[in-house]
Amino acid sequence: MGQVIVITSGKGGVGKTTTTANIGTGLALLKHRKVVMIDADIGLRNLDVVMGLENRIVYDLVDVVQGVCRLKQALIRDKRFENLYLLPAAQTKDKTAVSPEQMKNLCDQLKEEFDYVLVDCPAGIEQGFKNAIAGAEKAIIVTTPEVSAVRDADRVIGLLEAAGFEEPQLIINRIRPDMVKRGDMMDIDDIIDILAIDLLGVIPEDERIVISTNRGEPAVADESSKAGQAYRNVTRRLEGENVPLMSLDVEPTLMERIKMLFGLRARK
Amino acid sequence: MSQKMVVIKGTRDGISIILRRRSDFETIRNTILEKLQKGGDFFKGGEARLLVKEGHISQEEMEQLETMLKEYGLNLKKDHPLYTIPFPTPPLPETLILKKTLRSGQRISYGGNVVVIGDVNPGSEVIAKGDILVFGALRGMAHAGAEGDANSIVAAYRLQPTQLRIAGVIARPPEGKSAVPQVPEVARLKDGVIVIEPYYLH
Repeated sequence: MGQVIVITSGKGGVGKTTTTANIGTGLALLKHRKVVMIDADIGLRNLDVVMGLENRIVYDLVDVVQGVCRLKQALIRDKRFENLYLLPAAQTKDKTAVSPEQMKNLCDQLKEEFDYVLVDCPAGIEQGFKNAIAGAEKAIIVTTPEVSAVRDADRVIGLLEAAGFEEPQLIINRIRPDMVKRGDMMDIDDIIDILAIDLLGVIPEDERIVISTNRGEPAVADESSKAGQAYRNVTRRLEGENVPLMSLDVEPTLMERIKMLFGLRARK
Repeated sequence: MSQKMVVIKGTRDGISIILRRRSDFETIRNTILEKLQKGGDFFKGGEARLLVKEGHISQEEMEQLETMLKEYGLNLKKDHPLYTIPFPTPPLPETLILKKTLRSGQRISYGGNVVVIGDVNPGSEVIAKGDILVFGALRGMAHAGAEGDANSIVAAYRLQPTQLRIAGVIARPPEGKSAVPQVPEVARLKDGVIVIEPYYLH
């Protein structure tokens, strides 16, 4: 029996879909787990695009729920990893096409067969959110180091706790160590202070994410990507391994190095 | 529509009895009778016309009504029972012409041919019983011959679909970046496989 994990954030654009794609791919790639990712963002689907599987969609989640097709028919096998599957959302319907009970039913069926069922939650806290969390027993909260994103994450954690979720885990996405160092960005401790939940990982800002998203190839499989490395660490932690947070120190600039040379400014 | 079967209206020329015949004549007659009884002497000496909005009243039935109305002092001008002429419902045109760009999440499904004068963006769907012609870039999903017509085609000024379906056959473009077509192209079924060819006039 597998586990159902919902990836949620409240705020849009913080990286739920990217995180779902990378954790899903990571679990299949590094741990050879059987994984299915569900795109619960009906009407604004993206996970298929990020996975590069858009053109393979024939049936979708709504078709399964409405009995137009069998569950197996709607599952799309990933093009690189054969134990990784996607259940895409419908694009021409809306969130009301599915009820929380139906989602729970679907997740229950899927976890019989898969080690991990990852649900990519839509932004917001309305019907789509309620659908996405209905079948899940664990939650991963994604936030960015911005006050607004953290505020929304806090709200969502509250809702999850009210819905009976124990210990949601946190991923802080798009952190820029140089800005944190200058004091221009909330640092990890600030965020943990407010949210007070377990930290699952910190993902540095990385332009390779943009490239990999556009190409439909998750960065977790990219050895040279820093964000990919961070997602590989997240994957290992999910599997119970104890992996220290990766160092996010920035290379000192030339000026700083010269200053260091003259002892004008000690390296911290 | 829950319009009443019998409506009695006063007009400049007297009383109009508007009929929508949805049941037997007996019911209609009884309904009129009931209204006349309620009116008492009100109708006395008046003139009545009959306006038939639905169904048909025969000559014999007209006479029955005339007799009945006379009892209440109403004179039926039966020289012209008025029939309203229903608007002829035009048959659905075979081709739907859409002058707009279909955006993600929009879906057009039509029981004929579909012509899009605009683009069909990724994430949108065009489904037609017949052919699909796009005077623009087709980047979304197109399903021609959706009810099984294998002779249906999909043609586009720039054919770059996410996925193509003709009758029961599904095709998707090869992986990786494919070159943008420089000419209009047509997709059709050949031996159960979707093939794409440049569009030439033969």
